[in-house]
Amino acid sequence: MRTPIAYFVMLSGILFALGTVGVLTRRNALLIFMSIELQLNAVNLALVAFSRMHNQLTGQVLAFFSMVVAAAEVVVGLAIIVAIFRRRRTIDVDDARELRW
Amino acid sequence: MVAAELVPQEAIGRASLLWLIPALPLLGAAIDLFVGRRLGRWAGWLATALVAASFLISIGVVTQLLDLPDEERLVVQHLFDWISVGDFRVGMDLRLDAVSATMILVVTGVGSLIHLYSIGYMRDDPRFGRYFAYLNLFVFFMLMLVLGANYLVLYLGWEGVGACSYLLIGFWFEEVANTEAAKKAFITTRIGDSLLLIGLATIVFKFGTLDYGEVFTGAPAVLTESAATVIALLLLAGAIGKSAQLPLHVWLPDAMAGPTPVSALIHAATMVTAGVYLVIRSVPIFELSPVALDVVAWVGILTVLFGGICALAQWDIKRVLAYSTISQLGFMFLAVGLGAYAPALFFLVAHAFYKALLFLGAGSVIHGMEGEQDLRRMGGLGRRMPWTAFTMGIGALALAGFPFLAGFFAKDIVLEIANTNERWGFYVFGSIGALLSALYVSRLWFLTFVGRPRSEAAEHAHESESLMVVPLAVLGVGAALGGVLSLGPHGWISRFVEPLVGLVPEGEEGIPGPAFLVIAVGITFAGLLVAWWVYASGRVDWHRLRERLEPLPRAALHGWYVDRAYDAVIVQPAKALAGITANVVDAKGIDGLVNAIGGGTRRLARSGRLLQTGFVRSYALVVFAGAVAVLLYVGSRL
Repeated sequence: MRTPIAYFVMLSGILFALGTVGVLTRRNALLIFMSIELQLNAVNLALVAFSRMHNQLTGQVLAFFSMVVAAAEVVVGLAIIVAIFRRRRTIDVDDARELRW
Repeated sequence: MVAAELVPQEAIGRASLLWLIPALPLLGAAIDLFVGRRLGRWAGWLATALVAASFLISIGVVTQLLDLPDEERLVVQHLFDWISVGDFRVGMDLRLDAVSATMILVVTGVGSLIHLYSIGYMRDDPRFGRYFAYLNLFVFFMLMLVLGANYLVLYLGWEGVGACSYLLIGFWFEEVANTEAAKKAFITTRIGDSLLLIGLATIVFKFGTLDYGEVFTGAPAVLTESAATVIALLLLAGAIGKSAQLPLHVWLPDAMAGPTPVSALIHAATMVTAGVYLVIRSVPIFELSPVALDVVAWVGILTVLFGGICALAQWDIKRVLAYSTISQLGFMFLAVGLGAYAPALFFLVAHAFYKALLFLGAGSVIHGMEGEQDLRRMGGLGRRMPWTAFTMGIGALALAGFPFLAGFFAKDIVLEIANTNERWGFYVFGSIGALLSALYVSRLWFLTFVGRPRSEAAEHAHESESLMVVPLAVLGVGAALGGVLSLGPHGWISRFVEPLVGLVPEGEEGIPGPAFLVIAVGITFAGLLVAWWVYASGRVDWHRLRERLEPLPRAALHGWYVDRAYDAVIVQPAKALAGITANVVDAKGIDGLVNAIGGGTRRLARSGRLLQTGFVRSYALVVFAGAVAVLLYVGSRL
């Protein structure tokens, strides 16, 4: 028996909401980053679930693309965080705000 | 040459416990990883007990397998569907047959002894629990590697043991050299692994499946000789990387940076033999390609000679054994290349015993000398460490091919097959390799245990605790009596695996049996006597002798500068290329373009920037609110 699609979507929604709350409330750049990963993977889950529902592979393939993009994003993002930390000895995002003008 | 097809049996009775064999070490790894610190010394006992339990289950499962008639000795247990995309299915399947049965007994048997030994050896290490977690994880992956019923499960284990090898070589990561060695091992084997992966992709392309049963029965019909050659060579490349054969052998001597029991388990007894296992496992593919088999044999024989010569010149006790392992693995490849699959498997088992024994003995010596590894600073340890000296002596004699010990049978079957099939090159070079192994291993033993102590530490050396000596003794018995598994080409192990890999190819030609035996034994004794005369009789000043032979010993000490050659030919050009892309292409070209765009944008943005607050989270909120607004708008129009 197949698990109903609603379960996947609900799980995906919960994960996405958790990620969003994390992004909005955290000040530590690494934690924000992890929350973003959570959001991305929530979306991946939804993609795969819908792909299964429609019995076609497009969604799964798209999920692969988004994983690759996420990996690239991790590389760039972590590099930025490391660079910020080297310069300022902190990764609190609220401290890094002198680029506004 | 491959015998009749086997009919897979259901995993019933004791065989239904098959999945527990890898599962128990995995459980141990999980427990030790998460709460190992709190368990203290129990972490080690737990890990040892779980591997020992796996060993007992293995015995139970294998005895049931032995009760079955020959053509039914194949049990496949389906755990769950792993990958299922369209028509392509890969199951998490375990396969117990003669080959994997032999392997799991070796892995869990030798593995549990080495775990036990490690409790003593790692006693004072601050990361005691983590060590056993890694060691258990390694055993899990190794068991998956040998038990897998398709190439993908094998590959899972293959990469897993590589990762554990990396973790354990760099276990003492405070020393930069150790982490460098770990990286080197991982990256070097990765070259082979990548080719192996391509090989697996080729198998999928040709067969549409990775399942051993389907691939092997389908192989003669599906593969042309050239296709078989391509696949076989790609698999071989993976095996060469994992088993440290020429030209990818460079990582193994450096891998000695890890704790000594790790060297015994991973870099002598089990993981490095995975390459041999892969080739034996893939016999139906290799059999279709005489070219590939010849390549295997040549890689093997060259490695035998290379490793043997290098081992002869090393000063570090562990590096002697590392090069010896490379050389011995070469013998196994030679056996496989000659079509002698069962003898190769027996060689693997025998080698696991005596090389694990030698490594653990070396560990005991290092332990007794407070961390000293240099043979020049040892000497005379026989009186201070009698048990270590005695058991290591058995291991050394077994490796040297002393009559009726395990190594004697292992080596002689290989040479005998080269002889009776009139593969003279392999026979002559193989005999030289045998002479070299007798020489280097007795040199090692004499320099360590005989003569006068050549340092403070050697004078005050002490025997290790019984926790470490007991495994030595058990392995010593195995190394001494292991030969009963394989008396001649039709020994027990050959008959056991015959349904899978076929008969041992025996010719009628060559030097007649008795003369052959005399030559083989003579070679061993010649090696032992020469080593005794040079290193133990006191009649030769071996420092002077070495100086007179320069620069050969120095070249052999540095592994004939293969590392330096790789550095000059591959690493430096790669760095130079990277330098060009970084400093010219990137800095001037791409950055220039980006800077130009940036400059333009900046001029445009002067007016809009006053909106910015600089708080990342408020931006995120705006993005989120925008997304919600868009969704509401779209939703309202549906």
